[in-house]
Amino acid sequence: MSTTPSVAIIGSGPSGCYLAQGLRKHWPEADITIFDQLASPFGLVRYGVAADHQSTKAVTRQFDRLFERDNVRFAGNIRVGEDVTLEQLQQAYSVVAFATGLTQDRKLGIEGESLPGVFGAGVITRRLNSHPVVEEGPTTFGDRVVVIGNGNVAMDIVRFLIKRPDDYEGSDINDALVESYNAARAKRIDVVGRSVVADAKCDALMVKELGKIEGVRFSTAADCTVPEGADRATSGRIEAVRELNELEPAGNVDTEVVFHFGYAPEKIIGETSVTGVDFTPTTSAGEALHIEAVSVIAAIGFELQADASQMFGNDVPQLTATPETGRFGQGLYRTGWFKRGPRGTIPENRADAKEVTDEIIADVEGGVITTLPSQTGFAALPESVQEKAVSFVDWQRLDAHEQATANAGRIRTKISDHAQMVAIAKNN
Amino acid sequence: MNITVLYGTESGNSELIAEDLAAKLNEDHTAEVFDLADFDPNNMTADKFYILVCSTHGEGELPNTALPFWDALNAAAPNLDGVRYAVFGLGDTFYEETYSHGSEILDKRFTELGAKRVGEYGRHDASSWDLGTDLALEWLPGVVEAFEAETVS
Ligand SMILES: Cc1cc2nc3c(=O)[nH]c(=O)nc-3n(C[C@H](O)[C@H](O)[C@H](O)COP(=O)(O)OP(=O)(O)OC[C@H]3O[C@@H](n4cnc5c(N)ncnc54)[C@H](O)[C@@H]3O)c2cc1C
Ligand SMILES: Cc1cc2nc3c(=O)[nH]c(=O)nc-3n(C[C@H](O)[C@H](O)[C@H](O)COP(=O)(O)O)c2cc1C
Repeated sequence: MSTTPSVAIIGSGPSGCYLAQGLRKHWPEADITIFDQLASPFGLVRYGVAADHQSTKAVTRQFDRLFERDNVRFAGNIRVGEDVTLEQLQQAYSVVAFATGLTQDRKLGIEGESLPGVFGAGVITRRLNSHPVVEEGPTTFGDRVVVIGNGNVAMDIVRFLIKRPDDYEGSDINDALVESYNAARAKRIDVVGRSVVADAKCDALMVKELGKIEGVRFSTAADCTVPEGADRATSGRIEAVRELNELEPAGNVDTEVVFHFGYAPEKIIGETSVTGVDFTPTTSAGEALHIEAVSVIAAIGFELQADASQMFGNDVPQLTATPETGRFGQGLYRTGWFKRGPRGTIPENRADAKEVTDEIIADVEGGVITTLPSQTGFAALPESVQEKAVSFVDWQRLDAHEQATANAGRIRTKISDHAQMVAIAKNN
Repeated sequence: MNITVLYGTESGNSELIAEDLAAKLNEDHTAEVFDLADFDPNNMTADKFYILVCSTHGEGELPNTALPFWDALNAAAPNLDGVRYAVFGLGDTFYEETYSHGSEILDKRFTELGAKRVGEYGRHDASSWDLGTDLALEWLPGVVEAFEAETVS
């Protein structure tokens, strides 16, 4: 019996990669495999983080070396629950850690939500990032759009709605989507959040970035005085909103963005498709609000994918967020958004993965987990799984292809068909 | 030569750079790496050379793992006369107004407490997609030389 475990990590987003880093540091010899359902690694860094925020995506340079140098194996194109079962993984590995994220748009839970013209932000941000298994989605949103939510993802959506194709220099945006949207742009965008400015979830910098985009007039009726004793983040955000409100628009103004703080959606109005949204105030000072709209984009957070239970076969565990522990079964752990809930930036997953790393180390060294001689890791998996897997070298082939075929002014053009991604990766 | 490489990080880039610097230094010297979170500022001594690798987070602020050190540094305000250090700062020019300010906060305080920075101020810009380690390893010989020149004179 060995005290070096074999580790299967499911999900190659930041939390999976940080977990592999920590475990590799402790066990230089352990067989560590990161599985992903996609042929490409890095989860939301590739498919959530905005295409025009490339420096945020640069964290992948750090993760690259896990695979290039630190001998962590990438096994892409393997969906746990479909291509391999949890049981099979547990036969081959003594530790199985889920870092599968939370990617389904949270529902508004109000009347009218299923009308045509209502979309989740996750669907749109995936499409902007050319995600290969994307739900049906629109390319235009009509001339009046309501964005519900005032977190950073809502700001990503607003930025997309007001930018023009020329504003994406140096990105890897889905050009087809941007072009077709640009041919029928929204003229007025109402951004409505439940929180007052002081409690809004967006960072000042995300707000300031909007102000750099030409052709847009911003306004808000919100009170932008900084409350006494406000922390830096709060006062920064309030100042940023106030500056947008006072900004003299540059360029030819053809788009209007109006921010409303302190309103909760009550009902989406429309017979055959959206015509407007009713809001109720969340503060005693506010009054009911009706906003006309052709489409609604809800950026109110994420939840567990409906098909996630598939990963667990028949024995689906209770899975509410547990910030305090990563362990949820014998030899089973979780980290990242799948553990803590759909909140927090990339760096927060590092701190979280460190804690789970320590838990796993304690369990292995405390004898809670024993590694059987048969649990040799990847080599112990069925041959069909090994053959289907896209390796890191395969991914690098796809990566190089995407960069080499980039459109003018772009750093890459992503392949958005998964079968084609696999074919290019495997050089078939 | 005895060298302590200290890093402050939030997403892990500074840690990797610090480790790579230490591995390189250990070819000819003795180098140890510490997360600032695990390092007591009262232990800084004049006979060692300190290399600080530190990123920027929030709006021009220190990264999380540097915060306990920062608090301890301010609480103790140790006399750092004779202590020499070099700085490699991480940031992102996307944050125009606060580019690379994180490490500068510590640099300023070290200087106020009597320590002396030697060599060039190294920088890495996340917007460049350069590999931090590549830049840091290019920068390293210069600061080691500057430190050696200092200690000879
Ligand atoms: C639209 C959007 C924008 C964001 N922008 C930023 C930003 O600018 N800066 C920032 O710091 N943070 C940002 N975040 C937050 C950041 O993306 C998350 O903190 C982080 O990605 C969570 O990491 P994770 O590893 O837990 O999950 P994920 O990144 O979601 O990774 C999960 C991985 O698991 C895989 N997976 C799921 N199920 C299976 C299965 N059954 N079998 C195999 N593989 C599976 C998925 O394919 C995916 O690769 C953003 C998030 C969103 C949604
Ligand atoms: C939320 C956040 C805020 C940041 N703020 C700044 C900043 O104000 N100035 C700057 O130069 N870089 C900033 N950065 C960029 C980081 O310093 C850069 O990504 C660095 O490589 C991170 O190094 P680390 O992984 O060691 O923390 C920020 C990054 C994030 C994720």
